[in-house]
Amino acid sequence: MTKKYDTPLLDELEKGPFPSFVTEMKKAAAKNPMAADELGLLEKSFRDKVTYWKHGGIVGVRGYGGGVIGRYCELADQFPGVAHFHTVRINQPAGLFYTSEAIRFICDVWDRYGSGLTNFHGSTGDIILLGTITDNLEPLATIFSLNGFDLGGSGSAMRTPSCCVGPARCEWAMIDTLDITYDLTQEFQDELHRPSFPYKFKIKTVGCPVDCNAAIARADLSIIGTWKGPIEIDQDRVRDYAKKGVNIQEEIVNLCPGKCITWDGNNLKIDDSDCLHCMHCITKLSGALKPTPPFGATILIGSKAPFVIGATLSWVIFPFMEMKPPYQEIKDFIRKATEWWSEYGKNRERIGELILRLGMREFLETVGLKPTPEMVKEPRRDPFWFWKEGDLEGKPWESWLK
Amino acid sequence: MDREELKKQIYTLIEQAQGKKKYKQMDVIKHFRNLGVPDSETKEAIRELVDGGKLIYTYMGGSYIELASKLEKFEKDIFK
Repeated sequence: MTKKYDTPLLDELEKGPFPSFVTEMKKAAAKNPMAADELGLLEKSFRDKVTYWKHGGIVGVRGYGGGVIGRYCELADQFPGVAHFHTVRINQPAGLFYTSEAIRFICDVWDRYGSGLTNFHGSTGDIILLGTITDNLEPLATIFSLNGFDLGGSGSAMRTPSCCVGPARCEWAMIDTLDITYDLTQEFQDELHRPSFPYKFKIKTVGCPVDCNAAIARADLSIIGTWKGPIEIDQDRVRDYAKKGVNIQEEIVNLCPGKCITWDGNNLKIDDSDCLHCMHCITKLSGALKPTPPFGATILIGSKAPFVIGATLSWVIFPFMEMKPPYQEIKDFIRKATEWWSEYGKNRERIGELILRLGMREFLETVGLKPTPEMVKEPRRDPFWFWKEGDLEGKPWESWLK
Repeated sequence: MDREELKKQIYTLIEQAQGKKKYKQMDVIKHFRNLGVPDSETKEAIRELVDGGKLIYTYMGGSYIELASKLEKFEKDIFK
């Protein structure tokens, strides 16, 4: 296909040392009229400094309430190839592992039924296929389904759960992030495909507190692998690091947030009772320090970037939960939490916002948890414990005084 | 209320609300809860209506349940 549009502004984005999405779009445009019109429309948007997309709507696949995001172009006469340009979300494999055969399959299907443009992956984790027409949605979903893939989540629903590579590639994985993600995806199929929540609900699972997927900042429910045992120390390897130029005092001891490490120039000591499990020392002295069992996860709730009050990290709910199949405890908790949120949440209110609005105390009562010190986000901020008349009748202080 | 009657009433509720109010799934469940219908039965009836192609999920800044017949009209209108 010959070049359809001049794109002087987009061409600027091909200069420099980095890979350019414009170069990739041009490759797609050479063989796909939808991609060619998308390139022309983007140039026009850059020139006019406005978008010409209409977003949202009602297209989808029968029986599914998510997985397709309707997009239409305001300039359909000028750019007919992108009159409809719907996005399709496909549930990614846990940990983003593919065979090259699977990726070829996805790309071949998309070249045939869509623009050929993809986004591996969206910020939730799905495979994002950019640009198709309404009539192609049903055949696409059928073809993917017959080949072991399913649509991902969108709208006011549970979004496709995602995770880090976990034990498949990482020495620090303390939980099987891949199995947990797969299991939760299967368990919550209805919540994923049939939007019934006030707004989106994201679950991200990471194998250790390094949190490569930033679950603590990006998920309504963050499952973060952690450990309970002492940190095992190989003193010879610590000395070896020191010999090779690592300043143990400056780079390890002084940066420990729990102030629980000491170094006398020969031996490293850790007071595990004061360890905050940040993993700074373990990652800096890789191989010399090692977390030990029991392993499990810290469960946090409620993070989101653009809250009314600003970006919010998620909040500890379970300091330590064993994460063993069939993961019943976390599943029960998710059901209780989302039922409460569906009952009281306003439209477009995330669960973390509802907790801020109605109070953590009410949330804890609903999910049947007692307040613990680990739940306190900031000192002097979180008075979860209010006496009720019934509590006082039992005179609880008498047992404490004993 | 038997399942078919419940489905009919859900459909009527959505149909009569067209242009006035958009119902989320939970709104429908709460509506029938007030009439004594268990949540699980309403949920199942909605599922059957969606799977049968009579109702669809739409996204207008939030996910709603609407009549499937709206799709064709929507695509005609949007290009006007």
